[in-house]
Amino acid sequence: MSYFFQLVVSGIVVGSIYALSALGFVLIYKSSRVLNIAHGQIIAAGAFITYALTVWVGIPIYIAFGMSMVITFFLAMSVERIFLRRLIGEPIISVIMVTIGLMSILDGLIYLTPFGTENFSFPPYLPTTPITIGGVSISWTQLVGVIITFSMIAGFSWFFKKSTIGISMRAVSDDQMASMAIGISVPKVFGLAWAMAGLSAAAAGGIIGNITGLNFDTLHAFGIVVFPVVILGGLDSIQGAVVAGIIMGLIQQFASGYLDGNWGLNGTGEVMPYIILLIILLFKPHGLFGIHEIERV
Amino acid sequence: MSSNRWLATGNYFTSYEEEQRIFSTSLDRSVMCIFLFILFAWPLFLSVGNKYMLVIDNILVAVIAVIGLNLVTGFAGLISIGHAAFVGIGAYTVASFCRVLGDSHIIITHGWPLMIVVAGFMGALFGAIVGLPALRLKHLYLAIATLSFQMIFQWTINFMNFFDQGQTIPVGRVFWVTGKVARKEHYLFWYYVILVVIVILGFGVRNLLRTRYGRCLVAVRDNDRAADAMGMHPGFVKVYAFGLAGFCAGIAGALHAYLYRGVGIDSFTLHHSINYLAMAIVGGLGTLQGAFWGPLAIRVLDLQVERLSEWTGSHLTAATNLTTALRPLSFGLVIVLFLMFEPRGIANWWRIFRSYVKLWPFRY
Repeated sequence: MSYFFQLVVSGIVVGSIYALSALGFVLIYKSSRVLNIAHGQIIAAGAFITYALTVWVGIPIYIAFGMSMVITFFLAMSVERIFLRRLIGEPIISVIMVTIGLMSILDGLIYLTPFGTENFSFPPYLPTTPITIGGVSISWTQLVGVIITFSMIAGFSWFFKKSTIGISMRAVSDDQMASMAIGISVPKVFGLAWAMAGLSAAAAGGIIGNITGLNFDTLHAFGIVVFPVVILGGLDSIQGAVVAGIIMGLIQQFASGYLDGNWGLNGTGEVMPYIILLIILLFKPHGLFGIHEIERV
Repeated sequence: MSSNRWLATGNYFTSYEEEQRIFSTSLDRSVMCIFLFILFAWPLFLSVGNKYMLVIDNILVAVIAVIGLNLVTGFAGLISIGHAAFVGIGAYTVASFCRVLGDSHIIITHGWPLMIVVAGFMGALFGAIVGLPALRLKHLYLAIATLSFQMIFQWTINFMNFFDQGQTIPVGRVFWVTGKVARKEHYLFWYYVILVVIVILGFGVRNLLRTRYGRCLVAVRDNDRAADAMGMHPGFVKVYAFGLAGFCAGIAGALHAYLYRGVGIDSFTLHHSINYLAMAIVGGLGTLQGAFWGPLAIRVLDLQVERLSEWTGSHLTAATNLTTALRPLSFGLVIVLFLMFEPRGIANWWRIFRSYVKLWPFRY
């Protein structure tokens, strides 16, 4: 039974990171209807910037974490400014293909640094002995990661519900023409959406880097697992991303906990999200919380 | 109407049949014939080393795959981020026959044309299955479906003993009427096979686009509601586009397997899917010529990048992984720059060049 609870705990940990990664993705989709395929690379960039600032420059990790969020904020904003701003009004298919190109470019840039091929891990700054309650253990990094994740999600939800900028972003996602008519600058909102997606991606990257170590393959795999998560949650719903992230984390942990090693299966945790994704696309394409206005063709 | 269309200043078609012809004049037809003749005849006069022949074969295999991708992304307007997986399906169809029967079984070595067709149909089957969400959904979701198919494919190959965990599965040497194809003639032999397949597929696709089934694809891409109103079923058209793309990809995969005499997962990763997409974009989406220009341009770029990183590697000491870095970087830049500045691809340059020649000495 304690094995079961252990899987639940690690599922929630992984799931909350998925939720935070998915958050940035949903932000971009919600405001500009663009699927950002390069999201995993932005997550990885955030993690590597945090590492570089902590270990190579020597800044305390908490400050470095915040600084990398600020840097990715501006990085993502400039990506939007340089590549995507001039594609406003182009068919959405070419915008998505531009993000595929961006993914390749960021891949190349990361391979130019040592991070592309080597593994790094953050210096320990938290107690290394895990907390154990009734046979279920959780490490300090995981606990802190979950706490940061949930506080960031709470912060974002508050931002969208209450602040003026958040409300104007919601307005743009609802109706671009109407929001322009009441004086909201739509390009600015797009830029801001990318910037905030970058910020949340950096946070997610930092947390993943702390828990699993810095490996480029692992980090950018998170950007692809985001797709099953957002489809399950509904592409444009923030609370959907949170719920679906945790569900997906649990499914993954249960799959690798109970299926691996039986019937000659291995690494099922990696593939399960995609199988679920295909099933959802066939039967409930708008996900759990997505709005039902998907155009049937 | 001018009798010489190379001197005419416009299209003076007077009937639909005239507009739908593949070659509008006999001059066009003979130019095409001469071009094909050169393609078939040049290896008889020029002898090329195996290394370069492999590069040429490689480009031609990519042409077949990109013809398929162009059908689904260019003509039907659905992004496929899993095209390498469909190519892989074709290659692994051949590989699984090799695993079951042994790599020099008579079906593999003598029945290779049959194997290629079987691989094509397997690709078509998987393409249609992945395209099934199209019955309910629009392109955004389909892009994600193809991406997840790519991930599932990679996982299946990597974790199944039957496929040797993605290690290279050998494929035997094939027989031709003159006997076993020797190592020296291997690449030349497959050059001709691939060329014949390309000619058949090229004319097949060109003809398909003249029929109602081909025009369905374009109609659904341009406006699916209007297509629906005109009595097409957009969902089925999309599934069928994926099936066609899968067919071309499967054939390309089988040819790849025979050409390299082995199948390994390294040739069918997400990275390769993006490569195919880059080829289709650079060549020009929605044009048949694009499928020929794109692979050529991208492979040449690839070789130049390799040469550049070798050159810098001999000057710098710490540039060991420069190739892995420069390759995605250059592909990404090419995709983005073409989409931003020349979304119609190299095929458009060809069109501009043609009209320049046609109208010379007058300017357009």
